[in-house]
Amino acid sequence: MECERFRKLTVFLEPIASLVSGGLSPAIAPPARSLVPLVSFPFETVYVRSIVAVSLYVSLCAVLASTLVSLPVALLVGFNDFPGKGLLTAAINTGMGFPSVVVGLVVLFAVSSQGPLGELELMFTREAMILSQFVLATPPITAISLAAIDGVDGGVRDAARALGGTRLDVALVTLREARYGIATAVLAGFGRAISEVGSVLIVGGNIAGVDGVSKTRTLTTAIQLEARQGRYETAMVLGILLVVLVLLVNGIVVRIGDGGVR
Amino acid sequence: MVLRARDVAVSYGDEPVLEGLSVGVEAGDVLAVIGPSGVGKSTLLRLLALAETPDDGTVELDGTDAWALDNGDRLRLRRRIGMVFQEANLFDASVARNVEYGLRVRRLWSDRLRDWAASIVGPSTPTDAVTEALSVVGLADRGDQPAGSLSGGEAQRVSFARALAYDPDVLLLDEPTSDLDPRNTALIEEAVSAARDRGIGVVLATHDMHQAERVADRAAVLLGDGIAEIGPTDRVFEDPNDDRTRQFISGELVY
Repeated sequence: MECERFRKLTVFLEPIASLVSGGLSPAIAPPARSLVPLVSFPFETVYVRSIVAVSLYVSLCAVLASTLVSLPVALLVGFNDFPGKGLLTAAINTGMGFPSVVVGLVVLFAVSSQGPLGELELMFTREAMILSQFVLATPPITAISLAAIDGVDGGVRDAARALGGTRLDVALVTLREARYGIATAVLAGFGRAISEVGSVLIVGGNIAGVDGVSKTRTLTTAIQLEARQGRYETAMVLGILLVVLVLLVNGIVVRIGDGGVR
Repeated sequence: MVLRARDVAVSYGDEPVLEGLSVGVEAGDVLAVIGPSGVGKSTLLRLLALAETPDDGTVELDGTDAWALDNGDRLRLRRRIGMVFQEANLFDASVARNVEYGLRVRRLWSDRLRDWAASIVGPSTPTDAVTEALSVVGLADRGDQPAGSLSGGEAQRVSFARALAYDPDVLLLDEPTSDLDPRNTALIEEAVSAARDRGIGVVLATHDMHQAERVADRAAVLLGDGIAEIGPTDRVFEDPNDDRTRQFISGELVY
Protein backbone atom coordinates (compact mmCIF):
# COMPACT_ATOMS: atom_id res chain seq x y z
CA MET A 1 0.00 0.00 0.00
CA GLU A 2 2.71 2.43 1.06
CA CYS A 3 5.00 1.27 -1.76
CA GLU A 4 2.20 1.72 -4.28
CA ARG A 5 1.66 5.25 -3.04
CA PHE A 6 5.34 6.02 -3.25
CA ARG A 7 5.60 4.58 -6.75
CA LYS A 8 2.69 6.71 -7.96
CA LEU A 9 4.27 9.76 -6.44
CA THR A 10 7.66 9.20 -8.08
CA VAL A 11 6.07 8.56 -11.50
CA PHE A 12 4.29 11.85 -11.10
CA LEU A 13 7.40 13.65 -9.95
CA GLU A 14 9.86 12.29 -12.46
CA PRO A 15 9.13 14.44 -15.53
CA ILE A 16 9.31 17.59 -13.47
CA ALA A 17 12.39 16.45 -11.62
CA SER A 18 14.16 15.71 -14.87
CA LEU A 19 13.14 19.03 -16.36
CA VAL A 20 14.52 20.81 -13.37
CA SER A 21 17.67 18.73 -13.04
CA GLY A 22 18.37 18.68 -16.77
CA GLY A 23 19.03 14.94 -16.68
CA LEU A 24 16.49 12.73 -18.43
CA SER A 25 16.00 9.22 -17.11
CA PRO A 26 15.87 6.64 -19.91
CA ALA A 27 12.38 5.41 -18.96
CA ILE A 28 10.68 8.70 -19.70
CA ALA A 29 13.15 10.14 -22.15
CA PRO A 30 11.07 9.97 -25.35
CA PRO A 31 8.02 11.99 -24.24
CA ALA A 32 10.16 14.46 -22.34
CA ARG A 33 12.46 15.04 -25.32
CA SER A 34 9.60 15.42 -27.74
CA LEU A 35 8.32 18.26 -25.60
CA VAL A 36 11.49 20.24 -26.09
CA PRO A 37 11.08 21.26 -29.76
CA LEU A 38 7.41 22.04 -29.15
CA VAL A 39 8.08 24.53 -26.41
CA SER A 40 11.71 25.31 -27.29
CA PHE A 41 12.68 26.63 -23.89
CA PRO A 42 14.08 30.12 -24.34
CA PHE A 43 16.34 29.80 -21.30
CA GLU A 44 19.14 27.77 -19.84
CA THR A 45 18.09 24.76 -17.76
CA VAL A 46 20.56 25.76 -15.08
CA TYR A 47 18.82 29.11 -14.80
CA VAL A 48 15.40 27.55 -14.08
CA ARG A 49 16.89 24.88 -11.87
CA SER A 50 18.65 27.37 -9.65
CA ILE A 51 15.58 29.60 -9.44
CA VAL A 52 13.39 26.69 -8.36
CA ALA A 53 16.03 25.64 -5.86
CA VAL A 54 16.26 29.14 -4.36
CA SER A 55 12.45 29.47 -4.20
CA LEU A 56 12.02 26.12 -2.46
CA TYR A 57 14.97 26.60 -0.14
CA VAL A 58 13.84 30.03 1.03
CA SER A 59 10.14 29.19 1.41
CA LEU A 60 10.60 25.75 3.01
CA CYS A 61 13.15 27.10 5.52
CA ALA A 62 10.86 30.03 6.35
CA VAL A 63 7.79 27.80 6.77
CA LEU A 64 9.72 25.28 8.86
CA ALA A 65 10.96 28.03 11.19
CA SER A 66 7.48 29.59 11.32
CA THR A 67 5.88 26.25 12.19
CA LEU A 68 8.41 25.55 14.93
CA VAL A 69 7.60 28.94 16.47
CA SER A 70 3.85 28.95 15.75
CA LEU A 71 2.83 25.57 17.21
CA PRO A 72 4.20 26.13 20.74
CA VAL A 73 2.76 29.66 20.73
CA ALA A 74 -0.64 28.38 19.54
CA LEU A 75 -0.58 25.65 22.22
CA LEU A 76 0.35 28.12 24.96
CA VAL A 77 -2.33 30.61 23.94
CA GLY A 78 -4.91 27.88 23.33
CA PHE A 79 -4.35 26.07 26.64
CA ASN A 80 -4.23 29.08 28.95
CA ASP A 81 -6.56 31.87 29.90
CA PHE A 82 -4.85 35.15 30.72
CA PRO A 83 -5.67 38.83 30.60
CA GLY A 84 -5.10 40.18 27.10
CA LYS A 85 -5.65 36.84 25.36
CA GLY A 86 -8.32 38.35 23.12
CA LEU A 87 -6.01 41.23 22.25
CA LEU A 88 -3.12 38.89 21.44
CA THR A 89 -5.37 36.72 19.23
CA ALA A 90 -6.59 39.87 17.44
CA ALA A 91 -2.97 40.96 16.92
CA ILE A 92 -2.04 37.56 15.44
CA ASN A 93 -5.06 37.69 13.14
CA THR A 94 -4.12 41.19 12.04
CA GLY A 95 -0.65 39.89 11.21
CA MET A 96 -2.19 37.75 8.47
CA GLY A 97 -2.85 40.94 6.56
CA PHE A 98 0.65 42.46 6.79
CA PRO A 99 1.53 43.98 3.39
CA SER A 100 4.58 42.06 2.21
CA VAL A 101 6.37 45.15 0.85
CA VAL A 102 6.16 46.79 4.26
CA VAL A 103 7.59 43.66 5.88
CA GLY A 104 10.33 43.72 3.24
CA LEU A 105 11.09 47.32 4.08
CA VAL A 106 11.28 46.63 7.82
CA VAL A 107 13.54 43.59 7.30
CA LEU A 108 15.67 45.67 4.93
CA PHE A 109 16.19 48.28 7.66
CA ALA A 110 16.92 45.53 10.17
CA VAL A 111 19.64 43.87 8.05
CA SER A 112 21.10 47.10 6.63
CA SER A 113 24.54 48.05 7.89
CA GLN A 114 23.10 50.45 10.48
CA GLY A 115 20.27 48.08 11.49
CA PRO A 116 20.17 45.83 14.57
CA LEU A 117 21.18 42.81 12.45
CA GLY A 118 23.67 44.80 10.40
CA GLU A 119 26.71 42.91 11.68
CA LEU A 120 25.43 39.67 10.20
CA GLU A 121 25.74 41.20 6.70
CA LEU A 122 22.53 39.65 5.47
CA MET A 123 21.63 42.33 2.93
CA PHE A 124 20.68 40.73 -0.44
CA THR A 125 21.10 37.18 0.84
CA ARG A 126 18.78 34.20 0.90
CA GLU A 127 18.88 34.30 4.70
CA ALA A 128 17.39 37.81 4.65
CA MET A 129 14.67 36.47 2.34
CA ILE A 130 14.00 33.61 4.77
CA LEU A 131 13.71 36.19 7.55
CA SER A 132 11.14 38.28 5.70
CA GLN A 133 9.12 35.22 4.63
CA PHE A 134 9.27 33.96 8.23
CA VAL A 135 7.70 37.24 9.37
CA LEU A 136 5.02 36.89 6.71
CA ALA A 137 4.24 33.19 7.22
CA THR A 138 4.18 33.10 11.03
CA PRO A 139 0.89 35.00 11.60
CA PRO A 140 -1.27 32.80 9.32
CA ILE A 141 0.31 29.58 10.65
CA THR A 142 -0.17 30.69 14.27
CA ALA A 143 -3.71 32.02 13.75
CA ILE A 144 -5.03 28.97 11.87
CA SER A 145 -3.27 26.51 14.23
CA LEU A 146 -4.70 28.37 17.22
CA ALA A 147 -8.22 28.13 15.78
CA ALA A 148 -7.67 24.39 15.18
CA ILE A 149 -6.30 23.82 18.71
CA ASP A 150 -9.16 25.81 20.23
CA GLY A 151 -11.54 23.57 18.30
CA VAL A 152 -10.25 20.38 19.97
CA ASP A 153 -12.78 19.13 22.52
CA GLY A 154 -11.62 19.79 26.09
CA GLY A 155 -12.85 16.30 26.99
CA VAL A 156 -10.11 14.77 24.85
CA ARG A 157 -7.50 16.67 26.86
CA ASP A 158 -9.11 15.56 30.13
CA ALA A 159 -9.06 11.98 28.90
CA ALA A 160 -5.38 12.13 27.93
CA ARG A 161 -4.53 13.46 31.38
CA ALA A 162 -6.76 11.00 33.21
CA LEU A 163 -5.11 8.10 31.35
CA GLY A 164 -1.75 9.12 32.81
CA GLY A 165 -0.52 11.63 30.24
CA THR A 166 1.93 14.36 31.18
CA ARG A 167 1.52 17.96 29.98
CA LEU A 168 3.63 17.07 26.95
CA ASP A 169 1.41 14.04 26.20
CA VAL A 170 -1.70 16.23 26.42
CA ALA A 171 -0.10 18.76 24.05
CA LEU A 172 0.81 16.00 21.58
CA VAL A 173 -2.71 14.56 21.68
CA THR A 174 -4.12 18.03 21.02
CA LEU A 175 -1.77 18.57 18.07
CA ARG A 176 -2.76 15.20 16.68
CA GLU A 177 -6.48 15.93 17.01
CA ALA A 178 -5.93 19.30 15.33
CA ARG A 179 -3.71 17.87 12.56
CA TYR A 180 -5.97 18.76 9.62
CA GLY A 181 -6.26 22.35 10.78
CA ILE A 182 -2.50 22.48 11.35
CA ALA A 183 -1.85 21.06 7.87
CA THR A 184 -4.09 23.81 6.48
CA ALA A 185 -2.14 26.35 8.52
CA VAL A 186 1.21 25.15 7.17
CA LEU A 187 -0.14 25.19 3.61
CA ALA A 188 -1.49 28.70 4.04
CA GLY A 189 1.91 29.79 5.36
CA PHE A 190 3.73 28.07 2.50
CA GLY A 191 1.33 29.59 -0.02
CA ARG A 192 1.95 33.03 1.41
CA ALA A 193 5.73 32.51 1.40
CA ILE A 194 6.31 31.02 -2.05
CA SER A 195 3.89 33.26 -3.93
CA GLU A 196 5.14 36.46 -2.35
CA VAL A 197 7.08 39.01 -4.46
CA GLY A 198 7.37 42.31 -2.62
CA SER A 199 9.55 41.53 0.36
CA VAL A 200 11.94 39.06 -1.33
CA LEU A 201 12.47 41.60 -4.08
CA ILE A 202 13.39 44.30 -1.56
CA VAL A 203 15.62 42.26 0.77
CA GLY A 204 16.94 39.75 -1.79
CA GLY A 205 17.45 42.02 -4.75
CA ASN A 206 16.47 39.46 -7.44
CA ILE A 207 20.11 38.67 -8.18
CA ALA A 208 21.35 36.10 -10.71
CA GLY A 209 24.99 35.71 -11.66
CA VAL A 210 26.38 36.21 -15.16
CA ASP A 211 26.58 32.41 -15.40
CA GLY A 212 22.77 32.36 -15.16
CA VAL A 213 22.74 30.86 -11.68
CA SER A 214 20.25 32.42 -9.31
CA LYS A 215 21.63 33.90 -6.12
CA THR A 216 18.48 35.48 -4.70
CA ARG A 217 16.13 35.20 -7.66
CA THR A 218 12.94 33.27 -6.91
CA LEU A 219 10.20 32.12 -9.25
CA THR A 220 8.06 35.12 -8.38
CA THR A 221 10.75 37.77 -8.79
CA ALA A 222 11.97 36.04 -11.98
CA ILE A 223 8.44 36.08 -13.40
CA GLN A 224 8.02 39.77 -12.79
CA LEU A 225 11.45 40.48 -14.33
CA GLU A 226 10.85 38.30 -17.41
CA ALA A 227 7.41 39.81 -17.94
CA ARG A 228 8.74 43.34 -17.59
CA GLN A 229 11.42 42.58 -20.17
CA GLY A 230 8.87 41.16 -22.58
CA ARG A 231 9.98 37.50 -22.34
CA TYR A 232 6.44 36.31 -21.84
CA GLU A 233 7.11 32.65 -22.75
CA THR A 234 9.73 32.31 -20.06
CA ALA A 235 7.47 34.08 -17.59
CA MET A 236 4.65 31.67 -18.47
CA VAL A 237 6.81 28.58 -18.03
CA LEU A 238 8.08 29.87 -14.69
CA GLY A 239 4.49 30.61 -13.68
CA ILE A 240 3.40 27.07 -14.54
CA LEU A 241 6.35 25.68 -12.57
CA LEU A 242 5.34 27.78 -9.57
CA VAL A 243 1.77 26.48 -9.68
CA VAL A 244 2.99 22.88 -10.07
CA LEU A 245 5.34 23.31 -7.08
CA VAL A 246 2.53 24.64 -4.91
CA LEU A 247 0.28 21.76 -6.00
CA LEU A 248 3.00 19.24 -5.22
CA VAL A 249 3.66 20.60 -1.76
CA ASN A 250 -0.10 20.65 -1.08
CA GLY A 251 -0.36 17.02 -2.17
CA ILE A 252 2.53 15.94 0.02
CA VAL A 253 1.18 17.75 3.10
CA VAL A 254 -2.30 16.27 2.62
CA ARG A 255 -0.74 12.80 2.27
CA ILE A 256 1.17 13.27 5.51
CA GLY A 257 -2.07 14.38 7.21
CA ASP A 258 -3.90 11.27 5.99
CA GLY A 259 -1.04 9.01 7.01
CA GLY A 260 -1.42 10.18 10.60
CA VAL A 261 -4.99 8.85 10.90
CA ARG A 262 -4.04 5.30 11.81
CA MET B 1 -4.75 -0.37 48.19
CA VAL B 2 -6.78 2.43 49.73
CA LEU B 3 -7.68 5.67 47.98
CA ARG B 4 -9.07 8.15 50.42
CA ALA B 5 -10.21 11.77 50.48
CA ARG B 6 -9.91 13.14 54.01
CA ASP B 7 -11.82 16.27 55.10
CA VAL B 8 -11.59 17.74 51.62
CA ALA B 9 -13.06 21.13 50.77
CA VAL B 10 -13.42 22.73 47.36
CA SER B 11 -15.05 25.99 46.40
CA TYR B 12 -15.45 27.74 43.07
CA GLY B 13 -15.19 31.44 43.79
CA ASP B 14 -17.23 32.09 46.93
CA GLU B 15 -19.41 29.06 46.33
CA PRO B 16 -18.42 26.04 48.44
CA VAL B 17 -18.95 22.81 46.50
CA LEU B 18 -17.59 20.29 49.01
CA GLU B 19 -16.88 20.89 52.69
CA GLY B 20 -15.15 18.60 55.17
CA LEU B 21 -15.93 15.48 53.17
CA SER B 22 -14.22 12.13 53.81
CA VAL B 23 -14.62 9.01 51.70
CA GLY B 24 -12.45 6.07 50.72
CA VAL B 25 -12.37 2.96 48.54
CA GLU B 26 -10.38 -0.25 48.91
CA ALA B 27 -9.26 -2.96 46.50
CA GLY B 28 -12.19 -4.98 45.14
CA ASP B 29 -14.73 -2.57 46.62
CA VAL B 30 -17.41 -0.83 44.54
CA LEU B 31 -18.58 2.43 46.07
CA ALA B 32 -21.53 4.23 44.47
CA VAL B 33 -21.72 7.98 45.05
CA ILE B 34 -25.35 8.94 44.53
CA GLY B 35 -27.04 12.27 44.76
CA PRO B 36 -28.79 14.88 42.65
CA SER B 37 -27.06 16.81 39.87
CA GLY B 38 -24.82 19.69 40.88
CA VAL B 39 -24.10 18.33 44.33
CA GLY B 40 -20.38 17.83 43.72
CA LYS B 41 -20.13 14.19 42.59
CA SER B 42 -17.93 15.09 39.63
CA THR B 43 -15.78 17.39 41.78
CA LEU B 44 -15.28 14.56 44.28
CA LEU B 45 -14.19 12.23 41.49
CA ARG B 46 -11.83 14.84 40.04
CA LEU B 47 -10.28 15.19 43.50
CA LEU B 48 -9.87 11.42 43.80
CA ALA B 49 -8.34 11.36 40.29
CA LEU B 50 -5.78 13.96 41.45
CA ALA B 51 -6.99 16.20 38.63
CA GLU B 52 -7.90 18.97 41.05
CA THR B 53 -6.23 20.30 44.20
CA PRO B 54 -8.43 20.45 47.30
CA ASP B 55 -8.60 23.85 49.05
CA ASP B 56 -8.44 21.99 52.33
CA GLY B 57 -7.89 18.38 53.40
CA THR B 58 -5.87 15.61 51.75
CA VAL B 59 -6.22 12.95 49.07
CA GLU B 60 -4.21 9.86 49.96
CA LEU B 61 -3.30 6.71 48.06
CA ASP B 62 -2.06 4.02 50.46
CA GLY B 63 -1.56 6.70 53.10
CA THR B 64 0.58 8.97 50.90
CA ASP B 65 -0.70 12.53 50.66
CA ALA B 66 -0.65 13.12 46.89
CA TRP B 67 -0.48 16.90 47.09
CA ALA B 68 2.52 16.83 49.42
CA LEU B 69 4.53 15.18 46.63
CA ASP B 70 6.39 16.79 43.73
CA ASN B 71 4.96 16.53 40.23
CA GLY B 72 6.93 13.43 39.25
CA ASP B 73 5.92 11.41 42.31
CA ARG B 74 2.32 12.57 42.04
CA LEU B 75 2.29 11.44 38.39
CA ARG B 76 3.30 7.97 39.57
CA LEU B 77 0.31 7.92 41.96
CA ARG B 78 -1.99 9.37 39.31
CA ARG B 79 -1.00 6.58 36.95
CA ARG B 80 -2.42 3.97 39.34
CA ILE B 81 -5.85 5.55 38.89
CA GLY B 82 -8.18 5.24 35.89
CA MET B 83 -11.09 7.50 35.07
CA VAL B 84 -14.05 7.23 32.70
CA PHE B 85 -16.16 10.28 31.95
CA GLN B 86 -19.79 10.71 30.99
CA GLU B 87 -18.67 11.34 27.40
CA ALA B 88 -16.43 8.79 25.74
CA ASN B 89 -13.88 11.46 24.64
CA LEU B 90 -12.16 9.02 22.28
CA PHE B 91 -9.15 10.15 20.24
CA ASP B 92 -9.47 10.39 16.47
CA ALA B 93 -7.59 7.12 15.90
CA SER B 94 -8.30 3.40 15.72
CA VAL B 95 -10.03 1.65 18.63
CA ALA B 96 -6.84 -0.27 19.44
CA ARG B 97 -4.72 2.88 19.52
CA ASN B 98 -7.23 4.48 21.87
CA VAL B 99 -7.13 1.54 24.25
CA GLU B 100 -3.35 1.39 24.02
CA TYR B 101 -2.93 5.07 24.98
CA GLY B 102 -2.50 4.57 28.73
CA LEU B 103 0.14 1.91 28.12
CA ARG B 104 1.89 4.08 25.56
CA VAL B 105 2.34 7.14 27.81
CA ARG B 106 3.86 4.90 30.47
CA ARG B 107 6.63 3.71 28.19
CA LEU B 108 10.07 5.26 27.74
CA TRP B 109 10.37 7.98 25.11
CA SER B 110 12.96 5.95 23.20
CA ASP B 111 10.50 3.04 22.89
CA ARG B 112 7.65 5.36 21.99
CA LEU B 113 9.65 6.97 19.19
CA ARG B 114 10.66 3.57 17.84
CA ASP B 115 7.03 2.40 17.85
CA TRP B 116 5.97 5.61 16.18
CA ALA B 117 8.54 5.10 13.42
CA ALA B 118 7.37 1.50 12.99
CA SER B 119 3.74 2.62 12.75
CA ILE B 120 4.62 4.76 9.72
CA VAL B 121 5.94 1.74 7.86
CA GLY B 122 3.06 -0.58 8.64
CA PRO B 123 0.16 -1.28 11.00
CA SER B 124 1.11 -2.65 14.40
CA THR B 125 -0.55 -5.57 16.14
CA PRO B 126 -2.36 -4.74 19.38
CA THR B 127 -0.79 -5.99 22.60
CA ASP B 128 -2.43 -8.66 24.75
CA ALA B 129 -3.47 -6.08 27.35
CA VAL B 130 -5.36 -4.14 24.66
CA THR B 131 -7.13 -7.22 23.32
CA GLU B 132 -8.00 -8.36 26.82
CA ALA B 133 -9.40 -4.96 27.85
CA LEU B 134 -11.49 -4.85 24.68
CA SER B 135 -12.83 -8.36 25.29
CA VAL B 136 -14.02 -7.30 28.77
CA VAL B 137 -16.38 -4.83 27.07
CA GLY B 138 -17.24 -7.24 24.23
CA LEU B 139 -15.36 -5.42 21.47
CA ALA B 140 -12.31 -7.65 21.01
CA ASP B 141 -12.79 -7.86 17.23
CA ARG B 142 -13.15 -4.11 16.66
CA GLY B 143 -9.58 -2.97 17.32
CA ASP B 144 -8.88 -1.94 13.72
CA GLN B 145 -11.98 0.20 13.38
CA PRO B 146 -11.71 4.00 13.52
CA ALA B 147 -13.10 5.27 16.83
CA GLY B 148 -15.31 7.72 14.94
CA SER B 149 -17.31 4.90 13.37
CA LEU B 150 -18.58 3.52 16.70
CA SER B 151 -22.03 4.08 18.15
CA GLY B 152 -22.31 6.12 21.37
CA GLY B 153 -22.63 2.98 23.51
CA GLU B 154 -19.70 1.24 21.83
CA ALA B 155 -17.57 4.37 22.18
CA GLN B 156 -18.28 4.48 25.92
CA ARG B 157 -17.33 0.80 26.22
CA VAL B 158 -14.04 1.55 24.44
CA SER B 159 -13.54 4.43 26.86
CA PHE B 160 -13.96 1.94 29.71
CA ALA B 161 -11.52 -0.50 28.10
CA ARG B 162 -9.05 2.36 27.66
CA ALA B 163 -9.00 2.96 31.43
CA LEU B 164 -8.83 -0.78 32.15
CA ALA B 165 -5.96 -1.61 29.77
CA TYR B 166 -3.15 -0.34 32.00
CA ASP B 167 -4.53 -2.27 34.97
CA PRO B 168 -5.16 0.57 37.42
CA ASP B 169 -5.65 0.02 41.17
CA VAL B 170 -8.72 2.26 41.20
CA LEU B 171 -11.31 3.10 38.56
CA LEU B 172 -13.34 6.29 38.88
CA LEU B 173 -16.51 6.32 36.79
CA ASP B 174 -18.36 9.62 36.40
CA GLU B 175 -21.93 8.85 35.28
CA PRO B 176 -20.59 6.40 32.70
CA THR B 177 -23.97 5.17 31.51
CA SER B 178 -26.19 8.24 31.71
CA ASP B 179 -26.29 8.60 27.90
CA LEU B 180 -26.55 4.89 27.12
CA ASP B 181 -29.32 2.47 26.18
CA PRO B 182 -30.16 -0.45 28.53
CA ARG B 183 -28.06 -3.01 26.64
CA ASN B 184 -24.88 -0.93 26.68
CA THR B 185 -25.59 0.03 30.30
CA ALA B 186 -25.75 -3.66 31.19
CA LEU B 187 -22.46 -4.32 29.38
CA ILE B 188 -20.73 -1.51 31.29
CA GLU B 189 -22.15 -2.81 34.58
CA GLU B 190 -20.81 -6.29 33.75
CA ALA B 191 -17.43 -4.71 33.06
CA VAL B 192 -17.56 -2.98 36.47
CA SER B 193 -18.15 -6.36 38.11
CA ALA B 194 -15.27 -7.85 36.11
CA ALA B 195 -13.01 -5.01 37.31
CA ARG B 196 -14.03 -5.67 40.93
CA ASP B 197 -13.25 -9.37 40.50
CA ARG B 198 -9.76 -8.38 39.36
CA GLY B 199 -9.29 -6.55 42.66
CA ILE B 200 -9.78 -3.04 41.30
CA GLY B 201 -11.45 -0.55 43.62
CA VAL B 202 -14.29 1.29 41.85
CA VAL B 203 -15.97 4.61 42.65
CA LEU B 204 -19.10 5.08 40.57
CA ALA B 205 -20.87 8.44 40.55
CA THR B 206 -24.44 8.04 39.38
CA HIS B 207 -27.88 9.52 39.77
CA ASP B 208 -29.41 6.15 38.88
CA MET B 209 -30.23 4.57 42.23
CA HIS B 210 -31.15 1.24 40.66
CA GLN B 211 -27.72 1.08 39.10
CA ALA B 212 -26.15 1.74 42.49
CA GLU B 213 -28.20 -1.14 43.94
CA ARG B 214 -27.18 -3.45 41.10
CA VAL B 215 -23.40 -2.92 41.09
CA ALA B 216 -22.23 -1.34 44.35
CA ASP B 217 -21.11 -2.91 47.61
CA ARG B 218 -21.40 0.39 49.41
CA ALA B 219 -23.31 3.57 48.71
CA ALA B 220 -22.57 7.14 49.75
CA VAL B 221 -25.46 9.56 49.51
CA LEU B 222 -24.20 13.04 48.71
CA LEU B 223 -26.72 15.78 49.46
CA GLY B 224 -26.30 19.57 49.53
CA ASP B 225 -23.88 19.83 52.45
CA GLY B 226 -21.79 16.67 52.32
CA ILE B 227 -22.25 12.93 52.76
CA ALA B 228 -25.64 12.38 54.37
CA GLU B 229 -25.15 8.66 54.71
CA ILE B 230 -22.61 5.99 53.81
CA GLY B 231 -22.80 2.23 54.28
CA PRO B 232 -23.56 -1.13 52.65
CA THR B 233 -25.82 -0.53 49.64
CA ASP B 234 -28.67 -2.75 50.89
CA ARG B 235 -28.72 -1.09 54.29
CA VAL B 236 -28.61 2.46 52.86
CA PHE B 237 -31.49 1.76 50.51
CA GLU B 238 -33.67 -0.34 52.80
CA ASP B 239 -33.07 1.21 56.17
CA PRO B 240 -31.39 4.62 55.95
CA ASN B 241 -30.52 6.30 59.24
CA ASP B 242 -30.70 9.79 57.84
CA ASP B 243 -34.10 11.38 57.26
CA ARG B 244 -33.11 13.27 54.16
CA THR B 245 -31.58 10.11 52.66
CA ARG B 246 -34.88 8.35 53.27
CA GLN B 247 -36.72 11.21 51.56
CA PHE B 248 -34.23 11.28 48.65
CA ILE B 249 -34.44 7.53 48.09
CA SER B 250 -38.21 7.47 48.23
CA GLY B 251 -38.31 10.38 45.77
CA GLU B 252 -39.86 12.84 48.22
CA LEU B 253 -36.78 15.03 48.40
CA VAL B 254 -36.55 16.71 45.04
CA TYR B 255 -33.78 19.10 44.09
